[in-house]
Amino acid sequence: MGEEFEPRIVGFACNWCTYAAIDLAGTSRMKYPPNIRIIRVMCSSRVDPMFVLRALLNGADAVFIGGCHPGECHYIEANFYTRRRIAALRRILKEFGMDNRVRLEWISAAEGEKFARTMEEMVEYVKKLGPNPLRGRL
Amino acid sequence: MKAAELGIGELEGFFKELLTKNVVDCLLLPFRVGKTVTYMLVSEPEKMGSPVIFVPVFGISAANIVKGWTIERKIGVVAKPCEIRAAIELIKLEQISPESVLLFSVDCAGAYNLKDFAEHADEIGDALDEGKVAALEKKGVSLRTACQICDKRLAEYGDVGIMRVNAEKVMLVALTPKGEEALSAVELTLEEKDVSREDLKRKIKEEAEKRKAEIPRISSAEELDDVLASCILCKNCRDMCPVCYCKVCFFEQPLGNLAGGDMLNLATLRGVLRVPSPVQMFYHLTRLYHVCTTCVACGACEDACPSEIPLTKIYPMVAEKVQEMFAYEPGKSVEEPLPLTTYKEEEYEEYLRP
Repeated sequence: MGEEFEPRIVGFACNWCTYAAIDLAGTSRMKYPPNIRIIRVMCSSRVDPMFVLRALLNGADAVFIGGCHPGECHYIEANFYTRRRIAALRRILKEFGMDNRVRLEWISAAEGEKFARTMEEMVEYVKKLGPNPLRGRL
Repeated sequence: MKAAELGIGELEGFFKELLTKNVVDCLLLPFRVGKTVTYMLVSEPEKMGSPVIFVPVFGISAANIVKGWTIERKIGVVAKPCEIRAAIELIKLEQISPESVLLFSVDCAGAYNLKDFAEHADEIGDALDEGKVAALEKKGVSLRTACQICDKRLAEYGDVGIMRVNAEKVMLVALTPKGEEALSAVELTLEEKDVSREDLKRKIKEEAEKRKAEIPRISSAEELDDVLASCILCKNCRDMCPVCYCKVCFFEQPLGNLAGGDMLNLATLRGVLRVPSPVQMFYHLTRLYHVCTTCVACGACEDACPSEIPLTKIYPMVAEKVQEMFAYEPGKSVEEPLPLTTYKEEEYEEYLRP
């Protein structure tokens, strides 16, 4: 191969905060690595953990989920449930060494810079992890 | 706790009394039929044979039997702790009406699967002791894996616990007000007794932990893929699982069940596509997530697997980690909310990212 490994990251972004933050990052011309493929959802709690599993089992190197800060959910309390679900999912994946490929971040609509920074960190981290071990098996 | 001691021969009479005094409308109890053991739903006391409540066999979970249809008439369920715990989870999942069941758990010394039991029915008998387990072990017949690693074997779940004091005596313990009411209704004299059995509990826990440590875990995604390679997606593990309860499973729907066109699209996109995988891993990991807080570690999934996949390593042993994280013990109490249906404002932040 010889080329550097470029991770493919599937991202789920809440319409009310993280998606707006990504927009802000774009319109403010902030730079961040282009490895993420964003899927807009109406709330981070719309992300069924199965979506995350399905992405990983279809070869994604990592999955990112962005939601409103706890207590600031557009739907009052939904992201509290997201937090428990993703914690449970990551605990399961930990048994099989896959938990570090899933990340949940709270990014408000004003935090375009936080999104850009998170992406830089995440891409760097996943590059170190290497490709999804299942990639060659799918 | 309020309790009453009975001779083992008096148990049958006690169950009959429950029916005559209308404490319950029906009783679900295990009986011997030929070389096997099966549950029977008894409504007429005269037609009750001799129940074998301590029999060490696990077939279809009693919770699975009473799931989804108990509405008005009251069913007394006499079963092993894992089955009663599953029933309690099903009450919380609104699959069993709490008013329609009276739950009796019995002391369990571990169980054999139906096949092993049928082959050695005479030797195993109606109840286990350590001597029998060791003798059978020498012949290559072991307790079910889930039973070997089980530390919740005592009659402490449900409304009434039926403790095995020794070969001749049992103790009926009222664990809830509902249980006490039932025991009083059949005119048992209840006395305040110490039934904690801490030493026994500790011993069981130690043995279970020791055995658990001996079982190698599946530690990587590749290994899991290899273990699941023999999965034929029959979904028996789902059907036999007492706490898997959806009316229409995700994996019977298009999203969880890649149809021809989807597969063609993916194959065209990638050039090559392995089929049916990764559906096997997707199926098992999704099911694992769905039961991660409610899995009572009964091992029904492993018994049900025609490919003999060691599912105890996948379901109970991983679910246990999630339950530890939520400090949740499935089947312990009807009041405690399911972890994924509740939250605190500040928690679990350290579990969300690497």
